Amino acid sequence: MSSRQLGKVGWNALGLAVFVVMIFPVYWMVSTAFKTGPNIFSYSPKWLPIPATLANFGDAIHRQYFWQNVRNSLIVVVVVVTLSLALAFLAALALAKFRFYGRKAFIVITIAVLMVPLNALIIPLYITLSRVHEVNKLSGVIITYMTFVLPFAIWTLRGFILGVPRELEEAAMVDGTTRFGAFVRILLPLVAPGLVATSIFAFIQAWNEYIIAYVLLSSPEKQTLTVWLASFTTNRGTEWGPLMAGATLTAVPVVIFFLIVQRRIAFGLTSGAVRG
Amino acid sequence: MADVQLVHLSKVYDNGVVAVNDLNLEIGEGEFVVLVGPSGCGKTTALRMVAGLEEISDGEIRIGGRVVNDLPPRERDIAMVFQNYALYPHKTVYENLAFGLRMRKVPKDEQKRRVQEIARVLGLADMLKRRPAQLSGGQRQRVAMGRAIVREPKAFLMDEPLSNLDAKLRVQMRAEIARIQQALRVTTVYVTHDQVEAMTMGNRVAVMRDGLLQQVDTPQRLYDAPVNLFVASFVGSPAMNLVEASLELDDGKLVCRIGDTVLELPSDLTAERPSLANYAGRRVAVGIRPEDVREAAGWDGARLRGRILLVESLGSEQLVHIEITAAPLERSDLVDTAAQLPGPSLGVDDSERSVTLLGRFDRHLLLASGEAVEVAIDPRLLHFFDLETGAAISRVGVPVATPVAG
Repeated sequence: MSSRQLGKVGWNALGLAVFVVMIFPVYWMVSTAFKTGPNIFSYSPKWLPIPATLANFGDAIHRQYFWQNVRNSLIVVVVVVTLSLALAFLAALALAKFRFYGRKAFIVITIAVLMVPLNALIIPLYITLSRVHEVNKLSGVIITYMTFVLPFAIWTLRGFILGVPRELEEAAMVDGTTRFGAFVRILLPLVAPGLVATSIFAFIQAWNEYIIAYVLLSSPEKQTLTVWLASFTTNRGTEWGPLMAGATLTAVPVVIFFLIVQRRIAFGLTSGAVRG
Repeated sequence: MADVQLVHLSKVYDNGVVAVNDLNLEIGEGEFVVLVGPSGCGKTTALRMVAGLEEISDGEIRIGGRVVNDLPPRERDIAMVFQNYALYPHKTVYENLAFGLRMRKVPKDEQKRRVQEIARVLGLADMLKRRPAQLSGGQRQRVAMGRAIVREPKAFLMDEPLSNLDAKLRVQMRAEIARIQQALRVTTVYVTHDQVEAMTMGNRVAVMRDGLLQQVDTPQRLYDAPVNLFVASFVGSPAMNLVEASLELDDGKLVCRIGDTVLELPSDLTAERPSLANYAGRRVAVGIRPEDVREAAGWDGARLRGRILLVESLGSEQLVHIEITAAPLERSDLVDTAAQLPGPSLGVDDSERSVTLLGRFDRHLLLASGEAVEVAIDPRLLHFFDLETGAAISRVGVPVATPVAG
């Protein structure tokens, strides 16, 4: 075997190893969700859930507040995604297309905000939100999520908008559209992949977030799914089967959302607009 | 179709940079006018103002007699070809071509007829379903042209449409654009930094520098009678040879001293340029086109002695670099930077300084670098310029030049 082939094998092995490390927790979660009680705790690990059971899923679904918390999670996610997308797109548009006083400072601040560790903000955020009576409310959680989704979304979308040559809109305006028409017919379709990518980010962030929801939402009927999952761990131990079933159920919407929109992610859509 | 008039047009940016300074230009109906100049001379800005993509700081633009200063681009009924083509990447070639018609509410079947007609003319008929990314550079360029033509606008505006093509394709498209323009007789303003494009394509050429219009004329007149040093050095490839010389009165006759060679100026030449006499005893810039530099065999006038530095064979002719004794032009700010001459060497006598003279010689002449050579200069073919202002010391009847400096 030549060294070149050897290198190729090496890279493939490395890729495979990374894949296994990444996929294993997911596999173990799904597998455990289908296992019966004794199999979960057996000393020799059972790789496959045989015999399989749906009892864990039944337990999870029938647990108190499940549907209530699913609803909460959906509300938070839908509002965060739509609001952050709309606001970030307009902000990114202004930052990419117009020159105004303080533009550069705004861009720098946007990145600076992203660099602040979230955990350091929990206490100040809690105090601020409690002053305006937004603690233990979904709206409080939504506002908090926006604080870290928005800067990222603005930053990403600005890049996408800058990737569309100015001449495209100008050509459309010469061709007979208004400025707004050029925006709708030319710019919007071309930044669509950016909007999709950003919405995926916002969706995953808002759906998976735990700490802020846990701190801000104290009453069980107000909590989101991630916090609900924590309720499987009590003073008397952890109910691993139902917990894994619940975790599997929680992961499903993200996977579905991704499958729906991933088709729309076509990076490099602007190729061919300019030059050779 | 309509004429386009730029009247005292100026563009001053917020930071105080003057991109276009009091530009006056009339483009007649069906005329092809080329705006040419080095990069940053304001030619593109001027074009974008005509298109309505750039606000006008001062002055007026009229298209077909109507002042369009405050009209948005879509109401000016002009079409523009952009330097980078600016094709809509998410639309097919057909949709790209039809977009302008759709926006103007042209009926569907009329749209189809016109798009197919243009596609046939431009050789794009087989590619209507493709997207711009699937086209070659030349095809994209033709789609960009087609998008402008299909609209049947009052005027075409082209912003360096050929600069992204390779050299061979550029020559081909150059002829094609000129041919299309002649067939359609649409008023066209064409911007380029390439003086060859300007000379070959335009009915008239407007040379700009630093936002100022230098000269507008037919390509031939521009070449034969440049109004100042800048135009002289910009137009023509290879560029005009420029040296410093002094005019002296010798026995009542005007002579021109280049280095240590004295050229007698014949009386018909001085009669044609009466103001030349005022320069007696002063230094002037003298220019000569490379094709007017000849090998001296059989010439009985004054000769310049030199040494061949380099011979470049072009197949049909040869370019010969000849080192002669003369003073290089020190006001290099007055000439095109691309054709800039050697820097100043103050305090050295003329006879100790040398200039490289470029000559276009017949290919049958046997010349080798290092050889001594004598070149013949016909004083009638010389161009004279004022060393202070750069303005040409012109023949009678030629309008007075706009000085470059200032």
